[in-house]
Amino acid sequence: MQLLIEAIGFGIASGAVIALGAVGFSVQFGMSNVLNITYGSLMTLGAYIGLVLTDRGVNVWISLAIAGVVVGAVSVGFHRWLLAPLVRRGTRAFAIVIVTVSAGVVLQYVIVAFAGPDAKSYGEQSGQTFYLLGVVLTASQVAIIVLAAVLMLGLHLLLTRTTLGRAMRATASNRVLAQSCGIATDRISDIAWMLSGMLCGAAGVALAITTVSFDFTLGPIFLIPMIAAAVLGGIGQPYGAMLGGLVVGIASELAAAYTNPAYREVVAFGILVVMLLVRPNGLFGAAWATRRLMA
Amino acid sequence: MSNAARPILEVVDLVKHYGGVRAVDGVSFSVDRGTITGLIGPNGAGKSTALNVIGGFLPPDGGQVLLDGDDVTGQPMHRLARRGLVRTFQMARVFGGLTAIENLLVAAPEQKGESARGIFEGKRFWRKQESDAVERAREMLQAFGMEDKADEYARNLSGGQKRAVETMRALMTEPKLLLLDEPMAGLSPSLSRQLEDMFLKLTSDGLTLLLVEHSLDTVDRICSKVVVMAQGKILAEGRMTELRSRKEVQDAYVIG
Amino acid sequence: MGGWEYYLIVLLVYLGTDLLAAWGLNLEFGVTGVANLAYIVTIAAGAYTYAICTLGPPAATGNFQQYVGGFYLPFPVAVLAGVLAGAVVGILIGLTGLKRLRQDYQAIAMLVVSLMAATVVMADTPFLNGNAGLGLIPAPFSDQDPEIQRWLYVGIVAVACVVGYLLLRRFTTGPIGRTLRAVRDDEYAAAAIGKDIVVLRLVVQAAGGALGGASGALLAAFIGGWSPGAWAYVETLALLTAVIVGGMGSDRGVSIGTFVIAILVLQGVQFLPQISFRIGLREDLGWIVLGTVTILFIWFRPQGILPERRPKYGGSS
Repeated sequence: MQLLIEAIGFGIASGAVIALGAVGFSVQFGMSNVLNITYGSLMTLGAYIGLVLTDRGVNVWISLAIAGVVVGAVSVGFHRWLLAPLVRRGTRAFAIVIVTVSAGVVLQYVIVAFAGPDAKSYGEQSGQTFYLLGVVLTASQVAIIVLAAVLMLGLHLLLTRTTLGRAMRATASNRVLAQSCGIATDRISDIAWMLSGMLCGAAGVALAITTVSFDFTLGPIFLIPMIAAAVLGGIGQPYGAMLGGLVVGIASELAAAYTNPAYREVVAFGILVVMLLVRPNGLFGAAWATRRLMA
Repeated sequence: MSNAARPILEVVDLVKHYGGVRAVDGVSFSVDRGTITGLIGPNGAGKSTALNVIGGFLPPDGGQVLLDGDDVTGQPMHRLARRGLVRTFQMARVFGGLTAIENLLVAAPEQKGESARGIFEGKRFWRKQESDAVERAREMLQAFGMEDKADEYARNLSGGQKRAVETMRALMTEPKLLLLDEPMAGLSPSLSRQLEDMFLKLTSDGLTLLLVEHSLDTVDRICSKVVVMAQGKILAEGRMTELRSRKEVQDAYVIG
Repeated sequence: MGGWEYYLIVLLVYLGTDLLAAWGLNLEFGVTGVANLAYIVTIAAGAYTYAICTLGPPAATGNFQQYVGGFYLPFPVAVLAGVLAGAVVGILIGLTGLKRLRQDYQAIAMLVVSLMAATVVMADTPFLNGNAGLGLIPAPFSDQDPEIQRWLYVGIVAVACVVGYLLLRRFTTGPIGRTLRAVRDDEYAAAAIGKDIVVLRLVVQAAGGALGGASGALLAAFIGGWSPGAWAYVETLALLTAVIVGGMGSDRGVSIGTFVIAILVLQGVQFLPQISFRIGLREDLGWIVLGTVTILFIWFRPQGILPERRPKYGGSS
C-alpha cells in the first residue's frame, strides 16, 4: 500500500512536469497543425540556459523564467521563419516532421558542442522535505507541482477570460473563419508559439530540477511521455494534455515501482503507440481544435 | 429472375450515421444494367455519403448493397473495384507523381506485372500485356483530346484535365458499374457535352453509370432514371421530366 | 596493410552496406510512401541474427556475453538468416502501420516503435546482451591472410550490392513500380481502382526489411560487434537524409545521396582539424551538418539531387 501511495505521489510530481510540457506541445499542434519534434531539444535548451544562470548564482526560479522567455523567443522565430513558410508552400506533413526532427538533432548537438556531453546538475537543492498524505516530496518537487498548477490556471484564465484567449481558440479551431472575423491570425499564432515556447523552456528547467543529473538527451527522452500525454488527452486540447500528463506520470511510476525501473520509459512509449493505433483522437476526442489524426 | 434481367445494383435500406446525424436514412433503389441513373437532391441530402458507402469508401451502419445479385455490403474499395464497381472522387484524385498516361496504365485490370511471377520474371512475362494497355490508354487519351499531355506529370494538369484523367482512369479498369461524383463540375459546356456523349456511347456498349450531379441539364439529357434524395431519404424516383413537376421535389430544392 | 588502404576498405564496406539500407528505405518510403522511421530495427534484426547464428552458445566463452541462440552457422547461412529476420521484422513493423493515420503521426509512431525496440533490448540483458551489445562476431575467411580477407570481404559486399540492386529494380520498375508510386501518391484512389493496399505495403516492407537485414548482417560481420548504440534513432535520420538528398523514389539518386551523406559528410568531418580537446566533437559536427543539409534540401530542393525520371512509353512498343 505504501508503495502504491509513493508511486502515485511521485507520479503526480513527474506528471506535473509532463503536463507542463504536454500542454505547450498541444497548443503548438492545435494552432499550427504541426508535430513539433524540435520541442524536445528546445526543452534541453531551456535546461542548459537555466544551468548557465544558476551556476552564476541566479535564483533557480528566476532562471526558469528567463529560460522560458528565451526558448519562447526561439520558438516563435522557428515557427515564423521556418515552419510556417514551409506549410504555406504546401510541404507535406511528413516532410515538416522530418524538418522538426532534424532541427532537433542540430540543436541538440550544438548544445553538446558547447556544453559537452557529461552529465550536469543544478547542484544541491534545499534539503527541506514535505510529508503529504504518506509521501515524502522534496521542496523542489512541491514547488514544481505548484508552478505547474499556477501556469495551467493562468493558461486557462487566458483562454477563457481574455480577448486574446478567445482569438487564440478561434484561430485554432478554424483559421479561415477567424481571419474573416478580423482576427490577425498570424500575430495570434506568433503569440501562441511564444507562450507555448515559454512553457517548453519552463518544462526543461523543471525537468532539470527534478532529475538528479541530466545531459543533452534530457529533452528528447521526456518528449515521448509528453506526446503520449498530449495524444491521450486529445491532441490540440490543452486541458486533455494536463490530465494526460498526470495519467502518464502516475502510470510510469506505478510500472517502475511494481516491475523494472527501466520500464518507466516503456510505459510512456506503450501508451503513445497504443493510443495512436487504437484511439488517435484521444480519450475525450479533440474539443478545442478539430484536427483529425486519421488520414 | 435471370441475371441479365436483374438490376446491376440494388441498394436496400442503406443507413449511415455521419457526424451524429443520419446522413443516409434507409435508402433503397436499384440501377438497371446499361443505363445512366442520376442521384440528385439539394445540398446535404446525403447523396455523396450514399455514393461513398455504396462505393466502399465508408462502411455502412445498416442495410445492404447487392452487385449483380451478390451481397457486397461493407466490402473494401479494392475488392469492389475487382468485381467491377469503380468510383471516382468529387475532388479529382490523380496520382500526381505519375504522368497522365501512367495514371491510366496503372488502372488496367489484372496486370501480370504486379503478380509475384511478374516481379521476378520481369519484362518477358508482362511485355505484351503492357503494350496492349499502352495502346488502349493512348486511344482513350485521344478520345478525350489529351494525347499531347500523355507524358505530363498529373500534378501539373489543370483542374478540368485532372477530372478527365480521373474519369479515363476509371474507364480503364473495364468496370461494369461506374459511380461518378459530380463528373461535370468545373468543366466547360462544350467539354461537358463531349463527356455526356461519351457516357451515352459507353452505356450502349454495356456499361452502367450512377452519377451524383448538380447540373439538372446534364441529368435531364442523359439519365434515363433519376433518384431524388432529401435529408437522407429517397423523395422520389422516375424520369426527370415527370419529377420536375412534382411539388415535393420542387419544395426540397427550395427548402433543402 | 597501410592505414590508407585499410581506411579505403572500411569506406567501401560502409558504402556498400549503407547502399543496401538506403535502397530498402527508398523502396518503402520514396517509392511506396511508407513513413517507416523504424527502418533501423530491420538493420538491427539482421545484425543481431547474424551474430547469434555465427557465435557459439554463450557458455562456450564462459558466459561473458549473454544472448539467445549461438549456432556456429557458416557465413552464407547466417547472412541469409539475417535477411530473413529483416523481412520478418519489416512485416511486423508494417502491421503496426495498418491503421490509417496521418503520415506525420505514422512517422512518430514508427519512431517510438524503434525507441521501444531499443529500450527493450537494452533492458532485457539475457536476450541480446543488453546495453553492451554483442562482440567477437566471427567474419568469413578468417583463416586467410588479413589483407586478403579484407579485400575478399569488400568483394562479398560488392556482390551483395549487385544482387540487391537487381532485386530492387524488380520492384521499382515496370507495372509494380508504377502501382507502388500510385499508392504513394494517393492510396484511396489506388484502392478505388482495385489495388490491395495492405498486401502491397506488407510486401514492400518485407522486401525493404530484407535489404535492411542484409545490410545489418554484413556490417555486423565486418565490424565484429553490434550494440544498441549502432542503431539509435538518429541513424534512421542519416539514411532518410541520404534518400531525400539523393532523390526520393529514384534508385540512382538515392545511391548518389548515400555516397554524399555516408562518405562525404559523415566521414568527411573526421578530417577536420582538431578544434578542441573534446573527443566526439567531430561526430557531433557531423550530425549538425546532416540535420542542416536535410532542412536545406527540404527547403530548396525537395526532389533531391537526381529526381525520379519521367518514364516514356514510346508509341505502342
